[in-house]
Amino acid sequence: MSRVGVEALLTSGRTLKQGRAMELGKLGPEYLKEVAICEMDKVTLEALGLDEGDPVCVETLHGSVLVTSKIDRRAEPGIVFIPCGPYANAVTGSDTENTGMPDFKGVSAQIFGAKGEKVLNVKELLKQIMEGA
Amino acid sequence: MTEDSGMKENIVCPFCGCLCDDIALSVVGNQITDNKNGCSISQAKFLNHHDDRLAMDSSVEELVKKAAEIIVKSKRLLVYGLSSTENDAHREAYKIAEEVGGVVDNTSSVCHGPTILGTQESGESIAALAETRHRADLVIYWGSNPQFAHPRHMSRYVRADGLFIKDGKKDRKIWVVDVRKTISAGVADKFVKINPGSDLEIISALRAIARGKILDVEEVGGLSINELTELVEAMKNAKYGVLFFGLGLTQSKGRHRNIDAAIRLIQDLNYDSKWSMMPMRGHYNVAGANKTSTWQTGYPYAVDYARGYPRYQPGEYTAVDMLVRGEPDAVLNIAADPAAHFPRAAVKHLAGIPVINLDPKQNMTSLLAKVNIQTAISGIECDGAAVRMDGLPLYLKKVVDPPEGVLPDRDVLRMIYDEVRRLKK
Repeated sequence: MSRVGVEALLTSGRTLKQGRAMELGKLGPEYLKEVAICEMDKVTLEALGLDEGDPVCVETLHGSVLVTSKIDRRAEPGIVFIPCGPYANAVTGSDTENTGMPDFKGVSAQIFGAKGEKVLNVKELLKQIMEGA
Repeated sequence: MTEDSGMKENIVCPFCGCLCDDIALSVVGNQITDNKNGCSISQAKFLNHHDDRLAMDSSVEELVKKAAEIIVKSKRLLVYGLSSTENDAHREAYKIAEEVGGVVDNTSSVCHGPTILGTQESGESIAALAETRHRADLVIYWGSNPQFAHPRHMSRYVRADGLFIKDGKKDRKIWVVDVRKTISAGVADKFVKINPGSDLEIISALRAIARGKILDVEEVGGLSINELTELVEAMKNAKYGVLFFGLGLTQSKGRHRNIDAAIRLIQDLNYDSKWSMMPMRGHYNVAGANKTSTWQTGYPYAVDYARGYPRYQPGEYTAVDMLVRGEPDAVLNIAADPAAHFPRAAVKHLAGIPVINLDPKQNMTSLLAKVNIQTAISGIECDGAAVRMDGLPLYLKKVVDPPEGVLPDRDVLRMIYDEVRRLKK
């Protein structure tokens, strides 16, 4: 995996396809396709030396996760987006500042190209979290 | 048994907080074959309700016994979820928490919990969705992407023609305030791009300008003072404005303080015009979970019964905080998927304790649950009541029968409660 990365703020939220895939089956391939992605602008993807669809590793203070890169034509450099779900939460902090609400938006992240690496499916990701990796 | 095959009209969709009540379904035998009027998520929900169901490894009665044994053995039970099931199920869940001195929290603690905290601080300036449609000439979506999360919100309430707004497309302006240009921003009349985490500063600046204060800075949160002044003038000149806000406001830096400030802004604007605001509630009955919790426990979420009477403390009795502290020794999860939607540290504790999971379908939580009980889908396979984002309660109809032997959440929870009482004697 490349150690030359791009810094960005990571945000998460619902997408139409994620909502639809959730209703089709949260352990199925459709859901994986819609939540195990990181949307970013074209310049960021080019800076990473990647083509759309190549895996990226998203790292924050709270952990790292491998997801598939995707271009968002409306996006600008500095903000990347992972749809809400287990992949976004794998790198989300758990401090709620006594409100109950973790930091789901605006987490400082570094994005690295991860060509050749495998994006885990939901079951594999859960196993990794349970084992504390 | 449900009625005969045919077209069933005025069905309420149990997906998001819009609770669209104009769904028309074609039913053949016990199968839903067509969904008219529903968005693409509604289509997926109704047409695939029978797919991907949660597997049970023994009878419901046996699983209820196992669940009750876990609950009785536990010293610190966390009851969680509830936002994707109907109100009667909530009642039974609160009874279990009270019976064993546990904690009961709903999913609002990770969505609009800060909205409730802000409201408790500054009041509630909510209006009916119909008022938006009939009266609003300026609608703002702040930190919300309705085209994705509430796909028919714009078309039913904002772009639609109303009684006083004759042409919803021409007579009403839509602004989107967000940190990135979402698909909703693309269809709005105005997109206001702000710096991430600057909501509180911007709202405070808008309030100051609205009160005639001079700000000794050139920009706030990525917006120039001129831009901010133009926004305030347009908001003051609106005949009827509505601020819809989403998790972009509740989940970002400032959390409940953002909501507190937004409510105060709306109060200020009411000196010059008429304004109201409304949270864009996500799960179809998360607003109901807050209401039923308040009716029955006195508090909207984060309720602890350890002392035999209800106590309320977000940050302490909220699910993520409890799990991260390693406090619960058992979890009763109803109609939610905390394993998929909680941060890693919370999921890790969840994976190490017995979890009783009630859900119609399999999900990430079902993978780590010790007891999985499949239940009927409210609003499709059983009836009930749910609360729309503006507080309107709506009756969910039963459209088809659930799979054989599958019961509604309320019945399974009642069975667990009865078994817990029996074991405790």
